[in-house]
Parts: sequence; structure tokens; C-alpha cells
Amino acid sequence: MKKRLLQAHKQSPWRVQMQWIGLFLLGLVLVSAITGVYLSISAQAAAAGRNIQSLNYEINLINDEIADLTTDLAAAQSVEKMMKRAKELGFRMLDPNEAVYIEVPGLDPYAELELAPPRVNVLQETPLIQPTYKSSLWDWFVSNIWQVSAETTGGGN
Amino acid sequence: MRPPFYSRYVIIALVLGLLGLGIVVQMVRINYSTSAQELIDKSANYQGLEETVYPARGTIFDRSGYILATNQIAYEVGIDLKFVTDPESIAFSAANLLDLDYAEVFEMASTPASDESENRYFVLASYVEEEKIIELQKLKDSYAERRAEQKTITPSLSGLVWTAMEQRSYPEGDLASNVLGFYNYFSRETAQGVYGVEEAYNRLLTGTPEEVFMPNDPYLVEELPKINPGASLVLTIDRDIQAMVQDELAKAIEWSGAEGGTIIVADPETGEILGMSSSPFFDPNKYWAYEETFPGPTPYNRAVGDAYEPGSVFKVITMAAALDAGLVEPTTTYTDSSGVYWVENTWPIYNWDGGAWGEQTMLGCMQHSLNVCLAHVAVDLLEEDLFYDYVQAFGFGRSTGIDLAGEANYPLRLPDNNQWVVLDLATNSFGQGIAVTPIQMVEAVSAIANDGKMMAPHIVRSVVDEGQQYNVAPQVISSPVSAEAARTLTDMLTVAMEEEASSALVEGYSLAGKTGTAEIPTELGYTSTQTNTSFVGWGPSDDPKFVVYVWLEKPTISKWGSEVAAPVFHDVVKKLVVLMKIPPDVIRHQLSSN
Repeated sequence: MKKRLLQAHKQSPWRVQMQWIGLFLLGLVLVSAITGVYLSISAQAAAAGRNIQSLNYEINLINDEIADLTTDLAAAQSVEKMMKRAKELGFRMLDPNEAVYIEVPGLDPYAELELAPPRVNVLQETPLIQPTYKSSLWDWFVSNIWQVSAETTGGGN
Repeated sequence: MRPPFYSRYVIIALVLGLLGLGIVVQMVRINYSTSAQELIDKSANYQGLEETVYPARGTIFDRSGYILATNQIAYEVGIDLKFVTDPESIAFSAANLLDLDYAEVFEMASTPASDESENRYFVLASYVEEEKIIELQKLKDSYAERRAEQKTITPSLSGLVWTAMEQRSYPEGDLASNVLGFYNYFSRETAQGVYGVEEAYNRLLTGTPEEVFMPNDPYLVEELPKINPGASLVLTIDRDIQAMVQDELAKAIEWSGAEGGTIIVADPETGEILGMSSSPFFDPNKYWAYEETFPGPTPYNRAVGDAYEPGSVFKVITMAAALDAGLVEPTTTYTDSSGVYWVENTWPIYNWDGGAWGEQTMLGCMQHSLNVCLAHVAVDLLEEDLFYDYVQAFGFGRSTGIDLAGEANYPLRLPDNNQWVVLDLATNSFGQGIAVTPIQMVEAVSAIANDGKMMAPHIVRSVVDEGQQYNVAPQVISSPVSAEAARTLTDMLTVAMEEEASSALVEGYSLAGKTGTAEIPTELGYTSTQTNTSFVGWGPSDDPKFVVYVWLEKPTISKWGSEVAAPVFHDVVKKLVVLMKIPPDVIRHQLSSN
């Protein structure tokens, strides 16, 4: 026969208090941990937001700089400046009868300028088999019976 | 038994409870008060800004990829009153660096920031160059250093702010300005392309602006949506040819004392315009000077926007019609016995010199530009129906549809018009009593240079949009004459130029062409001594690669096209063949036979 042990005395009050304090501190640690994680994530999200703003600003600045440099480059290569430089270097307009002409096979001085790939017409894919032939009885039921009944009963929104 | 201090706890609980209830009541009251919406609107101002983001306007390139129009950054300088601490320094620097009125800026900068009846931001100057902004920044920094050293709050440019804004830029200055048009960017909301390509393709170049919300709350910040720039255009214009043509036109106007002029260079096989220049010359970077440069009705681009009586260059069309209809051949003769042709025994037609040229072949009629001969061809051989059918088939009386804004068109007076008389038929045959634009003449003559096939003149070669390039294919409009008739006429005009030893000839190259001298009608008829002089020519005659049209208005050096426009044609073609890399005929034939 098993012996049954019964506690004869209550736990001492300081133990109970310690247990409560421990539980409270555990809760506090948990709440602090959750708050800390939340604050950390929030701070990171805010920092990321500010970072995005700053990067957007930087992108705009870079785009502005690119536009400016492109314009400067175009101005530096303008006909007027190139002609001036050519004259300073001692060049003059060629007389057509002075020129030596060489035929270069395949060279087309007036070939199309390619700044981007040619336009591609995107064709809508049309399935070879109509969806009707691939739908199950359940699909057919949902698309026809259910919707029709929803419309007639005013269901759906 | 109640715990100690029970009543105190109850009182504190009641006070706190009432306080909470008061807060809830106040919240409900505010939410349902009349000023609730006002408060909501006010708070919305602090949430962020709804901004319109304008895409960068598309770039315009010449056919080789050189930039003709692009964008650069300029700055708007303003005063943000919230941050102003030293109005004097702001007014001083703005007056010195931005050429603004000191007193005016000082008054703006001294406005109390709290005064809500005033704007909190004042615009001082728009489109300020970057160099000036750099100087302002340096000054701002030096003031900051001085304040740090002296531990004072002045001098300070705090509150003087600048923001970047896009400005249209034409790095080639006035080159091709008559083709490009301009973009009046000063007011961004109403900015649009004006004239030329800028107007004709305004929608494509502009792109689609988008409304974007810029939140102040960093949690709501997202990456800005990618806004595609406006489409870029590649023109058919060759900037070297354009520069040459523009230079030659400027020289021709100065030399001849002409009031104005235009030169067009086109490729007859494709209808592409390689160069197009028109006076007066204009720098679109300073578009606000438009009204000074183009006073009154002065057209922005004479090549497409000005109709005039072309004179004898129109004989090319009459002769082409007669050859195509099989009514004449180059050897067909006409006897000019008196130097006058009587239209219905009522109206006399005279030659340019008033003389009689005796028996002439059709070749001679073109070579000597005989009005009586061409009047005979139109009135007696072609007659009105056939003549005007051909004239319309060559595109006269309607717009060419060139992709430039501001094309003019003058309707033809046709036989079904009550005001039409047979005299019109006679005079129209040699280019009087009919108004055409230079681009219409180029379109028509290109058909003769291109074996009878008339190509649509165009200025845009490719459109680059959303990373894809669409090339404009040359379009045949019609075939007004047969290839045989076109070649015969080209041969006739080649021989005519050579026999006439025209000043338009270029050594080593066979060229076909025709001069034009047109009296300018006044209210009293052809009473003016002033003329429009022109020359249209193409070459090389056996395989035409270019058509060149020269028109000089009211020259003072001479009134004859052969003396004014023909030498200009010569100068243009001599340089054009080099730029287009077209060898002299002998070398070309040698190369093609190898």
C-alpha cells in the first residue's frame, strides 16, 4: 500500500513573497524584452524611413548632376566649339575633289542610331485549349450556379 | 473593518476617475464640434506634402546622337521666414549676387513669421545658375564660421533657401532652333513646347506627371515611384549639315542683302530632312526674346510656315506633268516668234527678258526659263483638268504633314472656283498666282529625284520611350509621275544646267536644277521691283542622294535667282557632298564598277 505524505505546515511567508517577487520580475523582464524589441524594430523602421528619404534625395541630386554633366558635355562638343578647335589645330573644310575615297564594305554612315532596343510588340498569350474544357464540375458550378444565384438574390456586394 | 486610509483612496480614485471621464468627454466633444474638420485639415498639413512629380522632359538628338535639346538644373531662391534671423544680411547678399532690390528683399525678409496673413515663403528668383548658388553657399558657410568665432547670432543667411528645378537647355545655341522650337519652362504648370518639334511632340516629350505623397512620418515613407522620363527623339537632322546650311544662309543673306531666306536639304529616297535653316536666327535658351526676334507676322520657320509665289522653279512641275502625260518630249519644239503668248487673246504673257527666243525644244524652254513656252504647255497641251490634277498629285494645295508645328498651307484656286480664269492656268505654269511653302516644293521635287515616288517629308527618325526605340519608316505618299518621266526631266535639267554653265554647278558632280525669280505681288498687281529668288536642285543626277532648296527673299544685290540663289546652291552642295561622303561622279562610277 502506498504511503501518502501530507505537508504538515504552510510554506514560510518569505518563500511565498520571494515567489511572487520572482513572478513579478519575470513578467517585468518579459514586458521589458517585448518593449525593447518593439522599440528596436520601431527605431529601425524609422531609421529606414529616414534612410529612404535621404536616398530619394540623393537619387534626385545624382539625377540633377547627371543632367548637368550631360548638358556640359553636349555644350563642350557643340559644333561651334568643335569647329573652333579644328580651326585652331589647322584643319579646313575639305574640297571634294581633293579627297581620297575608299570603299568600306558594310559601312553605312547613315545607319539608324540605336539608343535602345527596338520596340517589341507584346502579344497576348491565347491558350490553345479554352478554359471551359479544362474546368471541373465544381468550377462550373461555382462560376455559373453560385454566381447566378448570388446575382438573383442580390447577394454579393 | 475598513483598511486604514480608505477614505483617502476613495477620494483619489474619484478624482482620477473624473479626470479620465473629463478627457473622454472632451475627446467626444472635440470630435463632434464644428471645428473638428478644421483641426483634421490642419493636422493633415503636418502629415506630409502632396507633390506633383514632373518627369524629365525627353532629350532631342540629331541623327548621329548629338544632343540638340536636353535639361539642366537651375535653382529657385527664396526666403523661408521660419528661419530668418538676419534680414539685413539676406537682403545684402541677394542684392549683390542675384541683382535684386535691397529694400524689397529686406522688407520680405523682415515680415514676422508668425503673421499668418503673409506667406511664410517668398520666391526671390527663379532659374538661378549653379555658379551663383555656389557663391551663396560659400557666403553662408563663411557667416557661420564668423558666428562661431564671435559667438553672435549675426551675420546669418539662415532662411535664405534654394531648391533645384529643371530648365530646358539647347547646348548648340541657335543651331536648328527653327526646327526644334522652344520650351517655355518658366511656369512649370503651364510650360509647353512652342513651335517645331517641341510643340509637335510636346505630349510625348513631356511624359506623364504623377501626384506623390511625401509623408513626414518616417514609418510611412516609401520609395518614390519610378516615373518614366518623357520620350526622347532622334531627328533626321544631321547637325554638321545643319550647321553648314545655317552658316551658308547667314552668309547669303548678308551678301545678297536679302530680307530673309531658307535653305532645306532633304534625302529624296526617304523624305528625311537633313538640314533646314530659316532666318531670323534665334537662341531658344533665351526664348523670352522671341517677340523681339520675330516681330509681327514673321514666321518662326519660313521653310514650313511661309507661303510665297515660287516663280520659275515651279516650271519643273509643269514640265514633269507634260512629260508624264506623253504630251511632250525633250526634243518637242515650240516657236516663240514674238516673245509673247496671248491667253484667250486677252492677257499677254511675256518672257523674263521680254524677248523672243525663236524655235526652242522643251529642253531649251527649261534651260532659258521661257514663260511663254510653259504657258503654251499648260494652256494648249495639258489644259486645266490635267494640269491641276498633276499639281494636286504633287501635293500642292494641302499640307505636307511634316512633323513640325506651324505648317502653313495656301489653298489652290481651281477651275471650279468662280474667281478662276484661264490666265491663272497660264501664270501658274511658271509659278505665279500660286502660293507654296518651301517644304511643299521640296516634297514635290523629291518625287522627281526619286523616280516619281513622293516620300512624306519628316523630321523625327526615332522615338525612344520606356527603354524601347521605335524607328519611323519612310512613307511613300504617291507617285505623281512615272519613273521614266522623272528620269527624263532630271536628264533635261542636268543638260540645261551644264549648257547654261550655271553658277550652281559643282565641279565633278552632275546636278539637275532650276532657278526661280518671282515678282512679289502687291495690292495693285506685280508692280514691285522686288523679287523672291530661289533655286531647287538635286544630285548626283544618275542616283540622287539630296535635294537642296534655296529661297532668298527680296535680295538687293540682284533680282535674279540665277545670280543670287544659284551661287548659294553651289556653295551648299560643294560642302554637302563632303559631309555626305559622296565622291565625284568619276570616282563613284569607278567604285561601283569594281
